[in-house]
Amino acid sequence: MTVPTTQEIAVRVEGMSKYYGTFHALRDINLTVARGEKIVVCGPSGSGKSTMIRCINRLEEHNAGSIMVLGTELNDDVGNIDEIRREVGMVFQHFNLFPHMTVLENCVLAPMLVRKMPRAEAEATARRYLEKVRIPEQASKYPGQLSGGQQQRVAIARSLCMQPQIMLFDEPTSALDPEMISEVLDVMVTLASEGMTMICVTHEMGFARRVADRVIFMDAGEIVEEAPPEIFFTSAKSERTQLFLSQVLGH
Amino acid sequence: MFKLLRNQKVRNALLQALYVGALGALVIAGTLIARQNLAAQGITSGFDFLFKSTGWDLGFSLLPASANDPYWWYFIIGILNTLFLGSFGLALATLVGMIVGLAQTSANDLAKLLGRTYVDVFRNIPLILQVFFWYALITHLPPPRSAHEGWGMLLTSRGLYLPAPNVGGLALLAASLAVVAAIVLPIWLGRTSLLSRPLGQRFSVQLAAVAAALVCAVLFLFAGRLPDSPLLDLPSLQGLNLRGGLRIPPEFSALVVAIAIYGGSYIGEIVRGGFKAVGKGQVEAASSLGLTPWQVFTLVRLPLALRAMLPILANQYVWLMKATTMGIAVGFTDFFMITALTINHSGQTLEAIGILMAGFLAINLSLAALFNRINKAIALKGNQLRG
Amino acid sequence: MEMVVVAPPASGKLEDLKRRFFATPRQAVISLLSLSVIVFLVWKLLNWAVFSAVFDASGGPDACHAASGACWSVIAARWRIIFFGLYPYEEQWRSALACVTVVAMTVLSCIPAFWTGRRIALVWGVGAAVFYVLMKGGLLGLGFVGEEMWGGLALTLFIFVTTCLVGFPLAICLALLRRSELPWISRTTGLIIDGVRSLPLISILFTFAIVLPFALPQWLQGDKLYRVILGSALFFSAYQAEIVRGGMQGVPRGQEEAAMALGLSYWHRISRILLPQAMRNALPATINQFVISFKETSLVIIVGFFEILASGNAAYGTGEWRFAYVEVYAFIAMIYFVFVFSLSRYGAFLERRMSVGER
Ligand SMILES: Nc1ncnc2c1ncn2[C@@H]1O[C@H](COP(=O)(O)OP(=O)(O)OP(=O)(O)O)[C@@H](O)[C@H]1O
Ligand SMILES: [Mg+2]
Repeated sequence: MTVPTTQEIAVRVEGMSKYYGTFHALRDINLTVARGEKIVVCGPSGSGKSTMIRCINRLEEHNAGSIMVLGTELNDDVGNIDEIRREVGMVFQHFNLFPHMTVLENCVLAPMLVRKMPRAEAEATARRYLEKVRIPEQASKYPGQLSGGQQQRVAIARSLCMQPQIMLFDEPTSALDPEMISEVLDVMVTLASEGMTMICVTHEMGFARRVADRVIFMDAGEIVEEAPPEIFFTSAKSERTQLFLSQVLGH
Repeated sequence: MFKLLRNQKVRNALLQALYVGALGALVIAGTLIARQNLAAQGITSGFDFLFKSTGWDLGFSLLPASANDPYWWYFIIGILNTLFLGSFGLALATLVGMIVGLAQTSANDLAKLLGRTYVDVFRNIPLILQVFFWYALITHLPPPRSAHEGWGMLLTSRGLYLPAPNVGGLALLAASLAVVAAIVLPIWLGRTSLLSRPLGQRFSVQLAAVAAALVCAVLFLFAGRLPDSPLLDLPSLQGLNLRGGLRIPPEFSALVVAIAIYGGSYIGEIVRGGFKAVGKGQVEAASSLGLTPWQVFTLVRLPLALRAMLPILANQYVWLMKATTMGIAVGFTDFFMITALTINHSGQTLEAIGILMAGFLAINLSLAALFNRINKAIALKGNQLRG
Repeated sequence: MEMVVVAPPASGKLEDLKRRFFATPRQAVISLLSLSVIVFLVWKLLNWAVFSAVFDASGGPDACHAASGACWSVIAARWRIIFFGLYPYEEQWRSALACVTVVAMTVLSCIPAFWTGRRIALVWGVGAAVFYVLMKGGLLGLGFVGEEMWGGLALTLFIFVTTCLVGFPLAICLALLRRSELPWISRTTGLIIDGVRSLPLISILFTFAIVLPFALPQWLQGDKLYRVILGSALFFSAYQAEIVRGGMQGVPRGQEEAAMALGLSYWHRISRILLPQAMRNALPATINQFVISFKETSLVIIVGFFEILASGNAAYGTGEWRFAYVEVYAFIAMIYFVFVFSLSRYGAFLERRMSVGER
């Protein structure tokens, strides 16, 4: 692996720890993500995957170590936090669309309020991204009127409307019925092929094989294994990884 | 400096300090200004005034009181009056509410209509208007010399006169305790594990306990009766005045009636809600086991409904307790009115308001604590139940 | 419907009646009892209020003494004092118009099209301003009428509207402060809210009307009316804050997280995401709170205001109409009933509609 220069680094996490009360949720996490890189994070339930990526846009506050995002340090400085959140998009397991706004309003809200984009321009951008996630015709519906897969695609479009440089995905497909998973994954694959920096928590190993540059395995708050997919799936070093893989791929 | 202000931790600390500091400053400044203003009027702050005699009389008091008594004694009387009025009002309101609620949940459409109408009419008229109405009604009754009479009672513009037992105070207290025991004992007997009889088969024991308690009550009354007088002191007209008997002043009756009627409409709704919360499945299950409708009601619907309504009922009780302050509208010397009178006469504004707040806080907290205990005691055990 | 006309058996109605009201002996007893109570009450009421009542004011109180029913002539003779209190006679049309403004405002805010923060604030802000200008005058060629002359229904409505107008934003602030992540802020606010809620409204009104002047510098004291309104607003907001907070708790945590992840600022998160959803959740309870606080405006009589109840007392309290208190109270009760009942019915309707609309 070539060492990326500072310019090319999207996220650098060094020695990060996180506590919930006395519970040590993340231990000494070290992770460097280059621009354009696609990372897939997997691991058993409760291993700290969500916590880790939520630290990257300060939905959770880390207790030790440092996090640099796009060259800005994530610390107590409110200005830095705002700056990072503008550049980092996030997609949630349960979509978290705003139910009292139409799909279009969901999409134009942040660009108008945060980026101070004029409405016409924001709407044009929103329609472009809705097209990209293949639901332009649903723009005037309310989230409650869409299927789960459609909602998740709207959520992706909503994040993209902010034109972020990094996208975080927290199990975007695990709340979906099987037949809806692929429509969301297709969108994510397209996004990946366009060069977006992505960190995805997912158990979709097919997706990991296809797009990931690196797969990270976490257990008990630690990064246990970190390898390109071809190595990760065939010759994982640690036993815990192998056990996990046999469980996930076993059936 | 500017950099520091952008720091989240610094900001949070600053915000909190500002908020708490500003509120604290407001309170302190207010108190200081008030003390200064009051001192200018020759009123020294402090609670010494509690031990001075008041110099004014009370309209209604459960305990002996005169203008020579100190303020602290008046405050105690005020709290007692409030509690007295409150407990009467609450008890009657609960009774009315139960009847109205049951009418509303009855299978009979006519009874339902009656219950519904009652709730809609009385809940939508302000309580104080109802207090004024009943007070006007009572004070417009005929004067003592042409009073309405019946069953040894007299109904006049000066209040309701009831026959009073000619019994010493101590015996009366003992007798009322015995009556309370007659209510509490069977409940306790029904739940205790001290008896070897199984639950549900203790009816005869409970009956015996009630009978014994009531007999005790009657015995106490006889033992304590005053010598050389009939057992009952009947009110009667002598000249232009009424003598004897127990006078219930118009202020008190107006308040009790108004609270009972108004509170009854709210409690009626709560009772209806409680019964509505009992699942149809429970009732069907009980009927299918062969229980009679009465058994289904007493053993299944009522206990479950009670559990559902208790928390809301507790809030309602607290509300009604606070509503006793409307006594001041008709001149009933409750806790609040005594506070207001104290401020008028002594000028000890801050202290009196402080006592008022502390008193109501105490009343509310104890009511809440009581209901929490009851709630805990009767709550369904476990959390594995499905609707 | 009309296609399935199957002629019911001749005794169908009767059978139906029997099944509904006389199924068992117990049912029959309850039915008969209820029926007799209903008939008795309706007859008594109609007889008193209509058949034997005196409506014509020309006979004066004497005509009432002769009749056995209600004496509505007291209302005919004294309605102006009940509605307008001591407001100058020639200017009372302004007071009436002001009341109409409030009713119009209330009706407007019941229409869903007005349920955005800005529109509802606009309706109430403009309504209150119109009300104020109409009542107080001194503008647009209207003669000046000081607050001490206000009374009757207009004063009741004024106190209600201003209480809500001040109390509602305050309630939202208190709710936000109470759910703040900063422990000192949330705890202090909790103390204030719980403290106010544990006190009776009368004691708060009394404190604001009579005690507060001691604790304020001269220039801050203001008119007694506005101090009382402030007290009543504080009380309203303590209750409403808990309702709003309940509504906020009904909004999933993910909503705010999503807004944060999009980079929205605190105020935008609150105003665009949290509050719109929380207020929707809290709507039925909010209307209930409005109903309660409308009824509670009547308590200002205790600190010496001439609102509708006090003016009712005055209407029958003097001389010749002394005996007609039942009619006056019944009339005022009717006024309250019309306002409160329609509002609470509307609340019940909303609640049903919302519980059906949930998916
Ligand atoms: N707010 C919180 N308070 C306390 N503990 C928490 C909190 N959030 C998460 N945890 C704990 O931290 C650990 C990591 O949680 P996290 O949600 O990151 O797991 P995960 O890997 O995302 O699991 P899953 O696959 O189930 O989503 C868990 O043991 C969890 O119990
Ligand atoms: Mg997770």
